[in-house]
Amino acid sequence: MTNLYVKLEGKIGNILIDFEHNFPLKGITVLYGPNGSGKSTIISAIAGFSHNLKSKIIYKKMVLDNGIKVPSYKRPFGIMFQDPILFEHLNIKQNLDFADRRSKPKVGTQKIISKNELINHLDLLPLLDRHPENLSGGEKLRVALARTILTKSEYLFLDEPMSDIDIKYKAKLLIFLKMINKKFNIPILYITHSIEEISQIADNLILINNGKKIDYGPAQDILNNNSFQNLIGKFESSSVLEGLLKSSNKPFNMTTLDINGQRLIVPGKPRLENNKVRVRIRSRDVIVSPVKLDFFIVENELEGVVSKIETETNTAFTELVITLINKKSAKKFQTLRARITTYNLQKMKLRMNSKVFAYISSVSIDRQAY
Amino acid sequence: MEIYNLFSSDISAIFISLKLALITCFFLGLIGTPLAYYLAFKSKASKSFLEAVVTLPLVLPPTVIGFYLIIIFSPDTYLGNFFIMLTGEQLIFSFYGLVLASVIYSLPFWVQPLQSSFERIGKDTIKTANTLGANSLDTFKNVIIPLSKRGFLTSFIISFAHTMGEFGIVLMVGGGIHGKTKVIAISIYDHVEQLSFGKAHFLAAGMLILSFIILICLFYSNRKSVVRIK
Repeated sequence: MTNLYVKLEGKIGNILIDFEHNFPLKGITVLYGPNGSGKSTIISAIAGFSHNLKSKIIYKKMVLDNGIKVPSYKRPFGIMFQDPILFEHLNIKQNLDFADRRSKPKVGTQKIISKNELINHLDLLPLLDRHPENLSGGEKLRVALARTILTKSEYLFLDEPMSDIDIKYKAKLLIFLKMINKKFNIPILYITHSIEEISQIADNLILINNGKKIDYGPAQDILNNNSFQNLIGKFESSSVLEGLLKSSNKPFNMTTLDINGQRLIVPGKPRLENNKVRVRIRSRDVIVSPVKLDFFIVENELEGVVSKIETETNTAFTELVITLINKKSAKKFQTLRARITTYNLQKMKLRMNSKVFAYISSVSIDRQAY
Repeated sequence: MEIYNLFSSDISAIFISLKLALITCFFLGLIGTPLAYYLAFKSKASKSFLEAVVTLPLVLPPTVIGFYLIIIFSPDTYLGNFFIMLTGEQLIFSFYGLVLASVIYSLPFWVQPLQSSFERIGKDTIKTANTLGANSLDTFKNVIIPLSKRGFLTSFIISFAHTMGEFGIVLMVGGGIHGKTKVIAISIYDHVEQLSFGKAHFLAAGMLILSFIILICLFYSNRKSVVRIK
């Protein structure tokens, strides 16, 4: 078996946990669910701390938990809990050394990131001689992340590692995590509440609610599914488009993406061209027009066909699912969600299969981690 | 000549008190520390029971504890008999009987500060250490102990001072035998009974000053919440 198999059953507080999943040993999997849905409990159980749950955990061929528990310190996992704790009696360098000295033995030809590389990537050099009590929340998270990676584990579990990190730094850290994942072949399970983070980092997405898995699959599919839209609520409704990084307009700090032959201009400068990236577009930021506008109002115009009309009964709104035209092949289509008023839907006389143009301002697209 | 004798009896009382307090703290460290750890981190039903047992000496009159200890220490109990077999001496009215009584009497003074210090560190810190590859012993040695230095210091100072000042139990269990079980507190009592206020003053003032200095040191070291090792 080349998976991490996890099965958990039992009651924690008020939630009934009934979770079973085969985690792939590659890529970045995001665990998403509302507060109190059991996300942290799952990580806790994988770490070996949920004694009130009936659990079965098998990693590759190693049985870590099946009645008898392999103690936490022997598990081949790197765990970073929510609101991580740094040891107050040690300075930052000593905190890192604590993990480094106890790191797991190297397996096979596995490449391992060196301590100095980590310190450089996470900008920890100026912090090394300082004590945890003098660090900001974001700085603490970076130290905790470095410390977790220094355990040289085969699988990383990160519980909201970016919750206290400012937006400017977030993109950098997301790139770093992607690099760790790809270059060093370390699979990551990542818990977050941020849809921006999911759309940028997730390869696969698990949705949980009330202790149960409600959906799982490639991130882009799940993000555009109804189950996800229901979970996050209509106001946050959004779609994720995948595109290839094409060119950048350096003086304007803009980048062009190729979305199946259509063009999307997003803010920021890419590091690598021809890389696949995902961008999240909120449904309420999409302006729909049945006719092509012949003057320039926003940067982006995407052409498509209305494939679904979801009119809400108690609100003023209707959600449109627009299947974007694929100018390259007729096989794979991407969809875009748009939130408009039902009033406007009728004014525009939109029906199923109506041809529409979606207008999106680049301003409404989040800063990217390319 | 008589004055000299009395003075030497005071010196021996001081030495016995100090020795008793130190040895008691040593055993408290051995017994009280794991107990404090257990009470701080286990949330089982047995915890409340154990907590009540540990706290009992705090609320019971010393004479009650002394009374039961005399019964337990008497040569016809297993414990008393075992001690006689081991040392050829009776446990009651012996120095080690005093140590045992002091350990019981001062147990809450060792356990409680340490327990609250452990509780402040919290389970999550231990879990963090575990996930970073440290087993329980490693965690205790390299995380818990350094983080609860202040707790250990508080426990030591309070237990030490408390053992030094013990009177009721020491009198009942030890009998106040000169050179063996007669501690400062009993000496003072004897002096007062014999109306030798001068000698009582000498010892009482000594205790007062010592206790005061100890407490000042304790509060001075506690003014900063984190004790660091450089």
